[in-house]
Amino acid sequence: MSPLLELQAVEHVFADGSAGLRNCSVALARGRRHALLGANGAGKTTLLQHLNGLLRPSAGRLLLDGRPFEYDRAGLAELRRRVGLVFQNPDRQLFSAQVEEDVSFGPLNLGLDHATVRARVAAALDAVGMREHAQRPVHHLSFGQKKRVCIAGVLAMEPEVLLLDEPMAGLDAPMQAELAQLLDSLAARGVTVLLSTHDIDFAYGWADDLHLMVAGRCIASGPAPEVAAQAGLLHACGQRLPLALALHAHLVARGVLPRGPAPRSVEAVLDALPVVPIHSQQGNPT
Amino acid sequence: MRIDTAAYACRWRGVAPQAKALFALAGVVAAWLARSPGVLGLLALLSMLVTLLGARVALRTYISVLLAPLGFLLLSCLTMLASPGGGWHWMPALLPAVAVTALRSLAVLAALLGLVLTTPMPDLLALLRRLRVPELLLDLMALSYRMLFVLRQAWEEGVTAQSARLGYRGWRHAWRSTGLLAGQMAVQVWQRAAALQMAADARGYQGTLRFLPAAYPQARRQNAYAVLAGTLLLAIAVGDRL
Repeated sequence: MSPLLELQAVEHVFADGSAGLRNCSVALARGRRHALLGANGAGKTTLLQHLNGLLRPSAGRLLLDGRPFEYDRAGLAELRRRVGLVFQNPDRQLFSAQVEEDVSFGPLNLGLDHATVRARVAAALDAVGMREHAQRPVHHLSFGQKKRVCIAGVLAMEPEVLLLDEPMAGLDAPMQAELAQLLDSLAARGVTVLLSTHDIDFAYGWADDLHLMVAGRCIASGPAPEVAAQAGLLHACGQRLPLALALHAHLVARGVLPRGPAPRSVEAVLDALPVVPIHSQQGNPT
Repeated sequence: MRIDTAAYACRWRGVAPQAKALFALAGVVAAWLARSPGVLGLLALLSMLVTLLGARVALRTYISVLLAPLGFLLLSCLTMLASPGGGWHWMPALLPAVAVTALRSLAVLAALLGLVLTTPMPDLLALLRRLRVPELLLDLMALSYRMLFVLRQAWEEGVTAQSARLGYRGWRHAWRSTGLLAGQMAVQVWQRAAALQMAADARGYQGTLRFLPAAYPQARRQNAYAVLAGTLLLAIAVGDRL
């Protein structure tokens, strides 16, 4: 089956002449959870904006359902209906004064009738846990709440692909966990999710597929366990091995754990440790 | 800013804006019709009481919002009472006329404050939309209103960041910091405008800003109350005229 969304050898040059993307190719398989890893300035945001049609490639092409994408009015409307993008800074995305009003913006642009829009807005606000704030003004919300309103604004358009630009940035740990849960439930409903992040441990634990970006190029794509095991590639994009992988390798080398596929989180590695009574070690000093 | 906070906090937040607008309109027309100072004072008092006791707007907020136009009103009344011509002298003969003008202005002011202090801007915009005010104007108002808060926050963050690095230590530094920040804000405005355009495009923007009108399930009943109360104000004013 062809990937839902794909960039082929895309180049992007900014107005000031600097390169945003260089010969960049990425394919998003349908219904999977994708994480995009890369240092600051590696081109993650630029890549996301290409996938939503906000930017046009200087060279190369965008494929939707395996077919080259046409950048005309109808094409763009379809792309943006099917691919939703949540920006990193909520204040740059929210332009209505009221929560409900802002969330209704996207679905109204789709030309839906008021009753449908109202139902979608309510469902989207429910999904992000902001239903009771529907009538509040945007400028009275906290950063985390604004972020959730942004996500609701895109969810209300019911996209097949959800792109999120550093969604975890600025959120506290409980809120990050909640967001990960929300993204999981969307993925379970068949929505393809792609998020950009700096957090290799989160990416390794959550994503099905990892994509590594360095200087505007995607240098590796594939299932998370395969990509995360390649220390050289991770190092090239300014990352280290995921803690869970490093700990597992260490414990295997020490003979504490048997060889085998590494668990996806530190908690899972700790759960896998055999129970050894402390006194048995004290009686055997080495 | 105070007006905005009050409008969101008041008890009549959920009341249909058209009901509040109807009542305010009745207050304005009544103030226009009434003649005697006593009745004008009564109308002003009624509008104030409704805002303070009915909608539970805090007295402190009300007074602080009222002070600016009130000061303006007093100043213009004083200039009406005093006139030049061989030195300044008082014109006590004008006092009744000035009192009526002042009380009438006060009654109109009270009626309008009753609307403004209980109705948040988005509701007012929605009301104007229903009254067929041109879309372009409303879109501009909506964006300006939102950007006001975004820019205020950006400005405050800038001032805080500058203060943390001693940017406001002494006059000279303060002027320099303010100038730098003002220049920086110009760039910020431009960047934010571009970012908003992008955000709107990403959600399928087609040339008009479309928002869902808020629903007021009890609008009919509230309108009826507003008409009733407004009629009372008008009756007082018409009674005064007869």
